[in-house]
Amino acid sequence: MMKRPLSAAAVAMTCMVALGTTAAHADLLDDIMKAKKIRIATDMAIPPSGMMDANLKPTGSDVETAQLLAKDLGLELEFVQTTGATRIPNIQTNKADIIISTLSVTPERAKVIDFTKAYAALQSVVACLKTVEAKSWEDLKGKTIAVSRGTTQDTELSNMKDRNLTLARFDDDATMVTAAVSGQADCVATSATIANQIGVKNPSRTFEPKVLIRTFDLAIGVRKGEPRLVEKLNEWISTNLKNGKLNEIYKKFHGSELPQEMRS
Amino acid sequence: MNLNLDFASIIERWPTFFDGALLTLQLAFIATMLGTAIGVLGAIGRRSHHPIVSRICGIYVEAIRNTPLLVQIFLVYFGLASLGLKFSAFVVAAAALTINVGAYTTEIIRAGFDSIPRGQIEAAEGLALSRAQIYWHVVMWPAIEKVYPSLTSQFVLLMLASSVTSQISAEELTAVANYVQSDTYRAFETYILVALVYIVLSLIMRAGFWLLGLVIFPRRRRLGTPL
Repeated sequence: MMKRPLSAAAVAMTCMVALGTTAAHADLLDDIMKAKKIRIATDMAIPPSGMMDANLKPTGSDVETAQLLAKDLGLELEFVQTTGATRIPNIQTNKADIIISTLSVTPERAKVIDFTKAYAALQSVVACLKTVEAKSWEDLKGKTIAVSRGTTQDTELSNMKDRNLTLARFDDDATMVTAAVSGQADCVATSATIANQIGVKNPSRTFEPKVLIRTFDLAIGVRKGEPRLVEKLNEWISTNLKNGKLNEIYKKFHGSELPQEMRS
Repeated sequence: MNLNLDFASIIERWPTFFDGALLTLQLAFIATMLGTAIGVLGAIGRRSHHPIVSRICGIYVEAIRNTPLLVQIFLVYFGLASLGLKFSAFVVAAAALTINVGAYTTEIIRAGFDSIPRGQIEAAEGLALSRAQIYWHVVMWPAIEKVYPSLTSQFVLLMLASSVTSQISAEELTAVANYVQSDTYRAFETYILVALVYIVLSLIMRAGFWLLGLVIFPRRRRLGTPL
């Protein structure tokens, strides 16, 4: 009995996707330029990348990136509100033209959409109190590292058995940050962004990234088969990485600079 | 409904579950021992004729019994750290559970003390027993024997409540379960297994308390009847 509504939904989904692709005639870049408007899908509920300010205006690093892009191309900007899970369907069904929303590049996603080159990066780090001397994994031995249970950081550090790390697992980011702010933990494994925010909350305990776990490239997502648009966006990203504008936006919201190799 | 249970991937992690269960038992054991000591002293204090002593014990009991255990745990864990005192999660968990169960034990043992009939004490006085002898033989042991079932169920509840210390990163049984299910995405199987382990732990504790009762209460051993 359960099978019928499921297959009906599947058919409906396939139709929607099919409609989306057939509606994409000719060339998306020409369409955008003709309409003088670009529709960008951004999640406004993931500070500091996308959020609402006190006046309920969108702000954040992805928001400013989108605004800069629209301004440089001389286009009107329309934000398409999205959530993490609906980012990709939004461009597949032609509700938005591109995605700028902390979209990290993964092989699975590359099967269904195209990526531009990276415009920013999310860094997964072990951050410690400023006063803690730690430069390598070796120095972290014997220190307690706070981490949120089940996150990518937890999984990666748990798998480093031969590095003898001591992990203290908390159920969510909020408790983990409280542990760091209150002094229960001198090291945390999380995103560089969250680590930098601890010092904002409690200036007497400033954390700084010490050891890099992994960097996730963030790129603009584009519907498959739009090479001219991708090329145009790549050109824009290269220019703005070189002139430092993208780095400036990133630093303003995330508190640290983009990796050196991205900026050059 | 299409339920697909796969216990194999959970059961192969049995060493971590074993460590977690062991830590849960350790927490329960420490808190039971220290909690009983606090309970006896607290009950004596609460019945004291010094108004300040009985007031202090009363405030302790009411403060603990009217606040959630999780809040008490956070208070000790983050509170101590803010004061610059840093203890491991295990020590804090054991301390918070002890403070918590101490209050409940105080109240249970006080009820036992109150249940000793006045005539029994007067009879002991009539037999020229000293005050200390009366307190030890005529008041305390009969009182504890009377409330022994309530005490043991409180300690089993404490063992189950120790699951919330996973919040402050004590790696007890529930923390292990949370980690395993976040890694295997087999939440239902993990918690079924953990529920079974908790039942086994409860049974172990009950059996232990039953044996202990036989050892420390001669009446029960000889007559087989509760007081």
